[in-house]
Amino acid sequence: MSVLFYLGAALIVIGALCDLFGALGLLRFPNFYVRLHAATVGIIGGAAVPLFGVALLALGADFLPNRYAIAGASFVTGVTVLLASPAGSHALAYAAHKAKLVQRPEIDHLAEVRDDD
Amino acid sequence: MSLESQFFLLMKFVIPIYLLAFILYAVRAFKGPTIVDIVLAVDCLSFDVAAFMAILAVYFKSVYLVSGAMILALWGYLLDIYIAKHLVSREVGA
Repeated sequence: MSVLFYLGAALIVIGALCDLFGALGLLRFPNFYVRLHAATVGIIGGAAVPLFGVALLALGADFLPNRYAIAGASFVTGVTVLLASPAGSHALAYAAHKAKLVQRPEIDHLAEVRDDD
Repeated sequence: MSLESQFFLLMKFVIPIYLLAFILYAVRAFKGPTIVDIVLAVDCLSFDVAAFMAILAVYFKSVYLVSGAMILALWGYLLDIYIAKHLVSREVGA
């Protein structure tokens, strides 16, 4: 069962690196719509992937009490993050465009579409 | 080398990376120019604290931390939806 442990450990390391890069991008990118890309890296790569990694690692770890409960709960939390975060980010981007919060985005296809009809 | 000591050796590398990412998200959440930047940073922070709590549940060998992780993930989604609803229609109700 230690194959599952090593697979989960690799997913946790990948998730930690994606989380660091997402945080750096969220701090350094210039615009809200560009920062949304870094937030996607930080959420999907930095939260959903380590949760699946914890699920696999807890299945493979034999030193852990209640390991099936930890694995199942973290798997369900990973699926919830995977479903909820794109919907939330999409709603936030739509609201930012609708309320005209971001100053002068360079290319605005949505406004051109709205002007047509 | 047993699996438990290998896990604690892995945690010595993973936990500082997560803490550094939390600090960077918190800087963006404090100095974000518009309200959507703040909400996006708090959203990333809550999802990452959820993942970090699942890791800490294995670290401390406790089941109860993972239920808090589920609540944190759902709370981040709720914050997004309510702020977006308020920005679009200037009210939160139906």
